[in-house]
Amino acid sequence: MSRRLLPLFFALFLCLPLIAAPLKIGVFIPGQREGSPIYDSLAAGAERFASENPGSSVRVFEAGFNQAEWQEKLTSFVGSNRFDVILTSNPSLPDLIEAIAPFFPSQKFICLDGYKTGISALHTVLYNQTEQGYIAGYLAGLISSSALPGANPQKKAGMIIGQHYPVMDTLIAPGFEQGLKAVDPSFGLDIRVLGNWYDATKASDLAKSMIASGVDVILPICGSASQGVVKATKDLNRYLVFFDSDEYARAPGTILGCVALKQKELAYAKLAEFAQKATPWGRADVVGVKEGFIELLDRHPSYAQNLPQSIRGRMSDLIAGIASGALSFPAPRL
Amino acid sequence: MTWLDTLGGITASALEAMTPLLLAATGGLFTELAGMLNIALEGLMLAGAFFGFAAAAVSGSLLLGILAGALASSLIAWIYGSATLRLKANVFITGLAANIFAPSVTAVLSAAWFGTRSVVALAVPEPARPLQTSLGRIPVLGGVFFSQHSLVYLSWALAAGAAVIIYRSVLGTRIRATGARAEAVAAAGFKPDFYKLSAIIISGFFCGIAGASLSLPLGAYVPNMSSGRGWIALVAIYLGNRRPGRTALACFVFALAESFSNYAQGQFGIPSEFILAIPFAATLIALSLGTSAKNE
Repeated sequence: MSRRLLPLFFALFLCLPLIAAPLKIGVFIPGQREGSPIYDSLAAGAERFASENPGSSVRVFEAGFNQAEWQEKLTSFVGSNRFDVILTSNPSLPDLIEAIAPFFPSQKFICLDGYKTGISALHTVLYNQTEQGYIAGYLAGLISSSALPGANPQKKAGMIIGQHYPVMDTLIAPGFEQGLKAVDPSFGLDIRVLGNWYDATKASDLAKSMIASGVDVILPICGSASQGVVKATKDLNRYLVFFDSDEYARAPGTILGCVALKQKELAYAKLAEFAQKATPWGRADVVGVKEGFIELLDRHPSYAQNLPQSIRGRMSDLIAGIASGALSFPAPRL
Repeated sequence: MTWLDTLGGITASALEAMTPLLLAATGGLFTELAGMLNIALEGLMLAGAFFGFAAAAVSGSLLLGILAGALASSLIAWIYGSATLRLKANVFITGLAANIFAPSVTAVLSAAWFGTRSVVALAVPEPARPLQTSLGRIPVLGGVFFSQHSLVYLSWALAAGAAVIIYRSVLGTRIRATGARAEAVAAAGFKPDFYKLSAIIISGFFCGIAGASLSLPLGAYVPNMSSGRGWIALVAIYLGNRRPGRTALACFVFALAESFSNYAQGQFGIPSEFILAIPFAATLIALSLGTSAKNE
């Protein structure tokens, strides 16, 4: 009997590399999952992968918002557990990984929303946020130039940001301004800085001041403080475009467009790639609309109900142009 | 828009921004006069913001929201005061503990009651602007003084009432006497700790309303939304030389500097880092000038 089974065992042995082994996945969140759609999506992508791959496990670690503690917490997280791969997301994480990687030579890292090449234990994927900013800016420009009741003829749009950081200064803000000027070169961009990510009252004051100076569309990128911007903009009958996730429900009729990052899908895709041992270690990829990881949420009822067909049509043309490669926005090196 | 309109807009915004500072500083003034350093203003404000918002959301009543914020903050202040006075704990440590306790307890209760530890935005009654349609129509001055929401006027009334209590009531006199000569108060047959605890509870009451004045006009509770205002209020007390009128003026100076910095970000080509520092620099300069004038 054992002789008869030998070929079967041999065949199974040959097939072993083709069967994806269960993965132990560590998700390092440099912040808090709840209230941060981008981090929640990161963990959700890993959890989806684990649920579809029996035996795989996910451990999510929330490191909090104190950036000074991230390196120490990442080191502890890596050192105290045995993960096949650690998945994380933040532009500042690649530098921290570079610092600790030599102490954990067998540990592999995948960092979304970051950019760094040449580290053999690290693969990064940067969202083309110039492209994302451009789409949001183009939509803001069309809204501001429209006959919508809250729009005015002053050709001014605004951004309220938590603080300056490289991705903001080199990708997002320039992309947003390019988008505005593509609608009308006379558009001006008013950028105001909150100084933190949670002072909603001050964010509301900044929005009111901005609106008083003639701004009629605002892109807030200021964390939980954006609640203040939503309130002021709604009270004063102006408009918002949002970044990263579906935020329409927060203020229907005021939030007229959301340009989302498909973080959950990207996290899942990168883990599947890792499971197939196809991760391009040391390489930094840039993804956008063409790859399906940046999306204008134009199928939401709020979008269709609150924007005229003329704007929706021009946005569809823009997205089609980017998806086909006719329009491209190279993301500058960080 | 004329420069007068711009100035009016900045001043009107400053008066609104001053509200939580004025309330917290007035509350902190009681503990300061009672001879206690109250570094818990920040945490007490945050508790007031949460409980005020939660009560207003559940009851649909602005007044109940304000009262709940004040009472919850007073309760935390009572625990903080009792730990300090009865257990003879270090006031600095208990103050820090209160500042850590407030965001933690609000996060736990927020998760339990609203299903999230993050932003809670619900329909709550907004403070009315009672004079806007009448006196608010006066050019410039109407916009500055008579277009404010009701919590702004409430803060002025409470600050004035606090000054009366401090200087014209038995309780105020004994609180000040406790801060100046606690042993004399004890020799007169009174309990200094009672007046210290009373001052701490009063500071909790004021800080609770200060917190509610942040969350209720916004229609939302945002974690950490006190954003350092409790510390600024503490500075304003010293800047105001522990006197109600001067403390109010210090709060207004800080709020005006902040309102100006909000406006200036969109007007001048100065890096935002410098503009964001204006309120703190203004406070520091004013504090230095005030200290040197006092020393002379």
